[in-house]
Amino acid sequence: MRTGTGHRERLGTVLHMVMTLTIMILLAQLWLFTVALETVEIQGGSTMPGLATVLCSTVGCAFVWMLIRFFLRTEHHHARRSDHDSV
Amino acid sequence: MNHPAQAPQPPRWKEDFPINWEDDAYITRKEFIKFLGLTSIVFLFGTCLTAGRRWLRESFQRRSPPMSIGHVDEIPVGGYKLFRYPGPDDPCILLRPGPEQFVAFSQLCTHLACPVHYQAETGQLVCPCHEAFFKAEDGTVLAGPPRRPLTRFAVVVRDKQLWIQPVSKVDG
Repeated sequence: MRTGTGHRERLGTVLHMVMTLTIMILLAQLWLFTVALETVEIQGGSTMPGLATVLCSTVGCAFVWMLIRFFLRTEHHHARRSDHDSV
Repeated sequence: MNHPAQAPQPPRWKEDFPINWEDDAYITRKEFIKFLGLTSIVFLFGTCLTAGRRWLRESFQRRSPPMSIGHVDEIPVGGYKLFRYPGPDDPCILLRPGPEQFVAFSQLCTHLACPVHYQAETGQLVCPCHEAFFKAEDGTVLAGPPRRPLTRFAVVVRDKQLWIQPVSKVDG
């Protein structure tokens, strides 16, 4: 049977992982932004790199908001469980 | 008569509207991760804006009509002519390295946009700001801090008249 403390620790680990992943995606998005800036300066090149950066950044943003949703739901669940344990 | 020293009374508004500064500065994990999400949207917006700017500029250049910049005989072999294309704020340089050879470049250095100058004796375009050297035949970087070649334009000779147009129009 799961103890309340073990469950809380597990949730805490999941939330930390979510935050780490979100920060990593943000760093990747920052890198994509610099790539887009670089492609702007190159004259006469293909527009594909610019489109690819926009596409990847969109996917990254969608993933970040999925993680945030997961984070909020998990935290809500965690709070409800804590209330239940305290009662 | 001296009154005993009294501790200063807090203003009345603080009693009516008490603010706990410690709580005010406290950021929850929820707020922090929402801030990260907004940052993600800002990065996406910036990337879209940057890519869109390039697309807009390219479409503007593609749409810019060819422009006549003078007669062939106006420029001697080894000489050059300055003009502006496609807009009035875009300085360009037309070179004549050989009798039948004409090349045109943007005059803005790809490092920090200083104007480049033609050196006929060395056949190079020189940026005096940071000593960058470009090949006059194709605008490639020979030396200096720039990493990209000069922007090139197509030169077309029709009835001894020189016409400038975007490279994509000639390629297409």
